[in-house]
This record gives sequence, structure tokens and C-alpha cells, in this order.
Amino acid sequence: MIRYNPFSWILLVLSSLVLLFILAPLAGLFIHTAPSDFFETAGDREVQQSIWLTLWVSFTATFISALGAVPLAWFMARRNFPLKNVVQGIIDLPVVLPHTAAGIAILGFISRDGALGRAADAVGLNLINNPAGIALAMAFVSLPFFINSARDGFAAVPEKLEKAGLNLGASRSRVFFTISIPLARQSIITGFVMMFARGMSEFGAVVIVAYHPMIAPVLIYERFSSYGLSYSRPASVLFILVALLVFIMLRLVARRKKITQITDDAEA
Amino acid sequence: MLRLENINKRFGQFALSDINLNIREGEYYVLLGRSGSGKTLLLELIAGLTLPDSGSIWLDDENITHRKIQKRNTGLVFQDYAIFPNMTVFGNIAYPLMARKTDKKEIFTAVKNIAAGMNIDHLLNRNTPNLSGGELQRVALARTLVTSPRLLLLDEPMASVDASLRDDIKRILRKLNRDGHTIIHVTHDYREAVNLASRAGVIHNGRIIQEGLPAEVFRKPVNRFVARYAGIRNFFRVRFSQERGKWKAICPNKLVFNIEGDNHPGEGLVIIRSDDVKVFREKPAGEFDNCFMGTIADIIPCVYGMELLVDAGEKFFVDVRQEEFEQLEARELSDVWITFPARAAVVLNERI
Repeated sequence: MIRYNPFSWILLVLSSLVLLFILAPLAGLFIHTAPSDFFETAGDREVQQSIWLTLWVSFTATFISALGAVPLAWFMARRNFPLKNVVQGIIDLPVVLPHTAAGIAILGFISRDGALGRAADAVGLNLINNPAGIALAMAFVSLPFFINSARDGFAAVPEKLEKAGLNLGASRSRVFFTISIPLARQSIITGFVMMFARGMSEFGAVVIVAYHPMIAPVLIYERFSSYGLSYSRPASVLFILVALLVFIMLRLVARRKKITQITDDAEA
Repeated sequence: MLRLENINKRFGQFALSDINLNIREGEYYVLLGRSGSGKTLLLELIAGLTLPDSGSIWLDDENITHRKIQKRNTGLVFQDYAIFPNMTVFGNIAYPLMARKTDKKEIFTAVKNIAAGMNIDHLLNRNTPNLSGGELQRVALARTLVTSPRLLLLDEPMASVDASLRDDIKRILRKLNRDGHTIIHVTHDYREAVNLASRAGVIHNGRIIQEGLPAEVFRKPVNRFVARYAGIRNFFRVRFSQERGKWKAICPNKLVFNIEGDNHPGEGLVIIRSDDVKVFREKPAGEFDNCFMGTIADIIPCVYGMELLVDAGEKFFVDVRQEEFEQLEARELSDVWITFPARAAVVLNERI
């Protein structure tokens, strides 16, 4: 039983205000969207395509960069080396950069004058206004979320377990795949979901690299700047709902994985 | 079989210095030391989890100082067992065999056999997070032994087990040793050395300060630290003097007792084991090397009886069994007599 004193009341009021601040604009958005407009927008092929594009590009960007980021996260959790703080600073850099500035930096990198742009051009690929370019922009701004979450996960795995694995004759890679990754799995999945969600909602960096094909945040902005607030609302509502749905689904999958793992173990 | 030669290892503020160790085939070697004395680090060096700064490690006359952990053939059982929580008991025991890519059928048989030997075959399908300390201990031992390592390294194997299960674990360890396993066991509890060791050593501040048969180490500790590890509580700082060929120890407050020996320095530290001191209600008849009257300053219950603190000018801890205690009809402040033989007083070498 919680006993309320003045301090608890102050905490309660402040917490409620913060929650209200998050929920009120969203609620307003939903209230001001007429169902007919919503369903019309939901049937709009352009809107559907842009949402689908956002989802798969963000997922692919997260998946591919995770392959490289998992070892980096392990390295950051387990090893001490000179200038480790600098490396951690570099990892966190995209979080503090203005996203448009990040977009400009990436554009320079992938344009025909940039190193990656030239390499892509050599195989006949233009990264600007291309899903691959969008994926790069999304990955750039959202990677820190994945790396830091996975790093915390690895750091929480007792080092003794890894040492025990080595002492029992397992190679370093075997220990990594059978002990470190499974035990850090929850944090890795959380990082994955966060990076995916962050990439999906990115606007600033992507709009500079690729106005077309339009990802959902760019489409919402385009509808707002061309037709105004009321016309951009249904698309916003739709995208928020899809994002929420995907978010919840991924969380459920992460949980289900854990449950099946335990029952599998019990049956083994 | 295992030889450590002049091993040095610095670890932050702490250092293992000039460790020389020689373990023979089939030996049960117990290394005693407080936490922070370097005993776990020593095991990790032998297992290859850390490398020494200098010195060499030899196993079966092969230099393994820089050999890969996986190729050392030493089995280390960690203090809190390091059981993999993401695997079942079966998965844990099978782990080293899978790492060696052993045939599946063989793995199954080997795991079954070793689990039966450890009385955990009924647990094979269980998840590990809800096992008891004693069960985890057996799983850890089975997992290490399933590949028959040349050398078994145990880090405080009793520390996380209930007192009631310690005898079980001791029985298992004794049996393993009888079956031919060479064991190095590190602990802070001298009773484990008494119960298990064929040879014991004491490590203090990163140095091995005494080695020998357990009885030898506990009867004749070389210095105050070893004496403390051996559970000795009677320490006396004394001056030595010789009268008519017999040595005496003179305590600061003038209590004088007879000791043995041929040559002693001017002053030093003497220990007397509390079970070497006998206590009587009346002055005992007969000749004794040392016999004093004192009063009981304190009575402390212990497992097999009582521990009396007798003030005979100096304070002596004396162990008495329950029956003896009842015969004594002793109370606090009642007068008693204590005796101990001259050979019970051991002079410590304080330079070590």
C-alpha cells in the first residue's frame, strides 16, 4: 500500500504531465482524423508503397549493419584498449549530430564524387535517390542504439562463463556463438528493435539523400508542405499505427523466442 | 607431473611472486589462502586463462606456458561453478564433447555414464537456473571430468555449498582422487586441507610460504599467517632464555613456560594449539612440563563441546569435549589448572 505524502503527490503530478505531453498531441491527431479520410488514405497506393518501402529498407539496414555491429559491441564490452573512450564517442556521434548534417555527410560519401559513390557507380548503381542510399542514411543515424544495447548485453554476461567455455576446450568463436550471443540475446533483440524503429522514423538524413522514392516520413512532409495540415493527418495516423503494430509484433516475437527456447531446452 | 618454475604475475596492485610448485601424479594438493592471496589467479595461470609475466609451466615435462587454453588438458571448476544458464544439465555436460566434435552417440553415452557416476542422471533434462548448490557442483564436476583432463583444478569447491552437503562433496572428491585424478584445490578453510589433502601449501600475499604434509603444516606452521590459517589461536610474544640446557619462554607479564629446541633467537612468537592444552578442576598429580593455575574468563560453545578462555597470567584458548566440560563443572571465574607439553609450544620463524 503506497502512502501518499506531499512529495509523492508532486512526483505523481509531474509524471502525469510528462505522459500527457506525449499522449495529448497523438490523441489530437487521432481525434481530428475522420474515418473516411483515414480509409481513403489507407487505400492510396502511393501511401502503401511508401510505408512498405520504409519498413523493408529499415529492416534490411538494421539486419545488415547488425552483422558487423555485434562483434563491435562485444569488443566494446570485453576489451580494454587505448582510446576506448574515443571509440565510444565515435559510436555515439550520430546521436548528437543534427540529422540533416548527417544526411549531407552521407550524401557527400555516396555521391559520384565520394568514395562509396564511385565504387557503386563502377557497378552501375546510383546510390542517390535509391533504397540503398536510404538504408545507409537510416543505418548511420540509428546504429548507436543497436551497438549500445548489445554492448550492455555482452557486458552483463559473466566473463567467467566465457572462460569456462574456453577451459572446456571450445574455440573462441564457439564460445562467442554458444555462450556470449545466447546470453546477450535479449539485449541484442532489444537493440535491433530500437534501431529498426529509429531507422523507420528517420526523416532529416533520408530526405537529403533521397526525396524519391519516398519513405513514409518524407511522404507525410510532402503532403503537409503541398496540401496542409489536414491532408497530412490521415497519412500520419496510418504510419503511426503501422509503426506501433510492427513494434508490438517484434516485441512479441522476441518474447516468444525466449519461451520456445526454454521449452526446447526442457524437451532436449 | 605439473611444475611451476619462478612464476611471476602482476595484476593491478597485486602480484604473484616467484611461485614454484611441483605436483606429483595422483596427488591431492590443497592450497590455503585468504581471499585476495592470489590462489584463484594461480589456478587461472595453470589453466591458461591468464599468462604469466615470467617463469614457466610444465605439464608432463612439456612446456605449456604459452600453450592455448583449449590444448592444456586442465579442467578448472570455478568457485560458483560457471554453469551455462542457457543450456540444460545435459547441454552443459555435453558442451566440451561437442566442442571436440565427438560423435553424437558417443556424447550421449559419455554424458549418461558420468552423470550416473555423479548421481545426477535424473537431472539431465532440467534447466540449470533452478538447481541447488550441491547439484550445480556435481554438474560442474561432471562437465569438467567428461573429457578426462590430466589435472583437476578446484577453486573453493565448498564455498557455495550448504554445510550439510560438504561431506557429500568431500566424499566425491576423495573418490576422484582415489580413482587416479590429480587435484589442486584452493580454499580458505584449513579443515578442507585436513580432510582431503595429501599435501598442503599456504599462499599469502602472492607467495607460497609453506608446503608439506597437512599434519606437518598444521603442527609446525612456519609463521603467524600459516598458524592462523591452521585455526591456531594461542599466540605468545616471548623472550627466550636458557637455563641448565633447557629452554624457557618468558611472556611479557612474567609467565614462564618450558619449550623444546636447541637454539632460539632472543625473542619471538610461540604458538600452542588449543587441543594440546588440557584443563583440570584440581591440580593434577604427576610431572608436567608446564602446569599453571588460572581462572576461566569466557566459555564459548562450539560444535563438539566448549572452548574455554583460561587466564593464567596469559590467556589460553582450550578445547574441551562436552563430557569433559560437564565433569569440570566449570563456570566463568572458577579456578582451573591447565597443562601442556613443552613440545606443544612451536616457535615461529618470523622472517618468512
